[in-house]
Amino acid sequence: MGLLNNAFPDNALTRTVDEAIGWGRKSSVWPMTFGIACCAIEMMAVYAATFDLDRFGAGVPRATPRQSDLIIVPGTVNAKMAVRVKRLYDQMAEPRYVIAMGACVCGGGPYVKWGYNTVKGVHKIIPVDIFVPGCPPRPEALIDGILKLREKIGRNDVFRRRQEAKEQMSAAYEA
Amino acid sequence: MNETKLHSRLREACPSGVGDLDTSAKDPFVVVEAAALVEAMVFLRDDPACAMEMLHLVTATEREAAIEVAYHLCSYTHHHSLTLKVVCPRPEGADQEWSPSVPSVASVYPSADWHEREQYDLLGVRFDGHPDPRRILLPEEWIGHPLRKQYVYPTSSGDIPLELDATPIYERPEGWTDPEHAPRAAGTPLVQPPNAPSARPHAGGKAPPPKPKGEGDEPATKPKPKPKGDGGAAPKGEGGDDMAAKIAAIKAAKAKKKKEGDG
Ligand code: SF4
Repeated sequence: MGLLNNAFPDNALTRTVDEAIGWGRKSSVWPMTFGIACCAIEMMAVYAATFDLDRFGAGVPRATPRQSDLIIVPGTVNAKMAVRVKRLYDQMAEPRYVIAMGACVCGGGPYVKWGYNTVKGVHKIIPVDIFVPGCPPRPEALIDGILKLREKIGRNDVFRRRQEAKEQMSAAYEA
Repeated sequence: MNETKLHSRLREACPSGVGDLDTSAKDPFVVVEAAALVEAMVFLRDDPACAMEMLHLVTATEREAAIEVAYHLCSYTHHHSLTLKVVCPRPEGADQEWSPSVPSVASVYPSADWHEREQYDLLGVRFDGHPDPRRILLPEEWIGHPLRKQYVYPTSSGDIPLELDATPIYERPEGWTDPEHAPRAAGTPLVQPPNAPSARPHAGGKAPPPKPKGEGDEPATKPKPKPKGDGGAAPKGEGGDDMAAKIAAIKAAKAKKKKEGDG
């Protein structure tokens, strides 16, 4: 959408179109098949029948970063893995979203003090949208994270001019 | 067969280089000369009465006077096990770069291949005759062996920052260069409250030298990243001193209790 991105003033039409696009995006967040450490086990539980992430349109783990919108980073990112995580993130197409799952990727977790090899938070490597703390987080916590991400995606400005929308929002907030 | 019988049998087969059996340990072990290791392993594997089919673990320990490499063997056929140990004494005046060398047993037990690579990676034990002597866990270009007592913690690995207060790599300004970090002394944690020396007990090794005061972990020029997620940041400023005092008080109370309990 390159050229048309944020190219239009904020009016009823563009807002409706944006909302429609946002609804479409947030209802089909396809995560990448990706797991690093113990948290990945809990993430698999979220995909499986009991918790069933498909209820939120995110139950189709893609096998390649080029098809996925969301990368859940579940587990300890160490120096060797960080290079791979960054490369996978770089391969994803915009718009792309990142969920940091677990204490390890939120800021080092158990390895924060003596981990000679651990990256203290995956936000040192790639920009993170949602942090889900816990060691490991309960599946409900990850589902909550995905719901929060859905809200965030739904609020995105696609065609509307971003600055105006921002000002409006802050004005509404102050009023 | 129990360990005593295994030991006497092994000693009969290769009299030179096989030491005594230490039964005081929970896992009785035999100290073997490095030169006799491969011969002893081949005997234990091929002798029908021993029939050690599996080498399930190779580990190493750094002590003040030596680095010990332990080989844990067991037999499916006879349900017995034996531990062999090779002791590599630290030469006089050896610096921290010193790394012992032990003959590789990967040709006897293929399972030793990766275990030996791990011991090389983490403790710097060289295995002569190993088919593929590379690091196994850490990146190839890693410097040092992290489980050594005198290991200096790195602040970054290539482009990847390893500190809690590092600037995220996508927020680095143009022309960013790695800020000069003073290398940390062994056993210093990556992030610690200001002026609080490390309280980590040093098993076997020398106590870590106390950190010079006033030398913070973060250089003044480095921009501070916005705290995006709560990563369990260490207590900073005045809180740190309070914390240290509290921790000391708790430790003292515990020690007192233990004394009373013993007496
Ligand atoms: S946060 Fe806990 S459960 Fe998750 S990867 Fe780290 S250590 Fe494992």
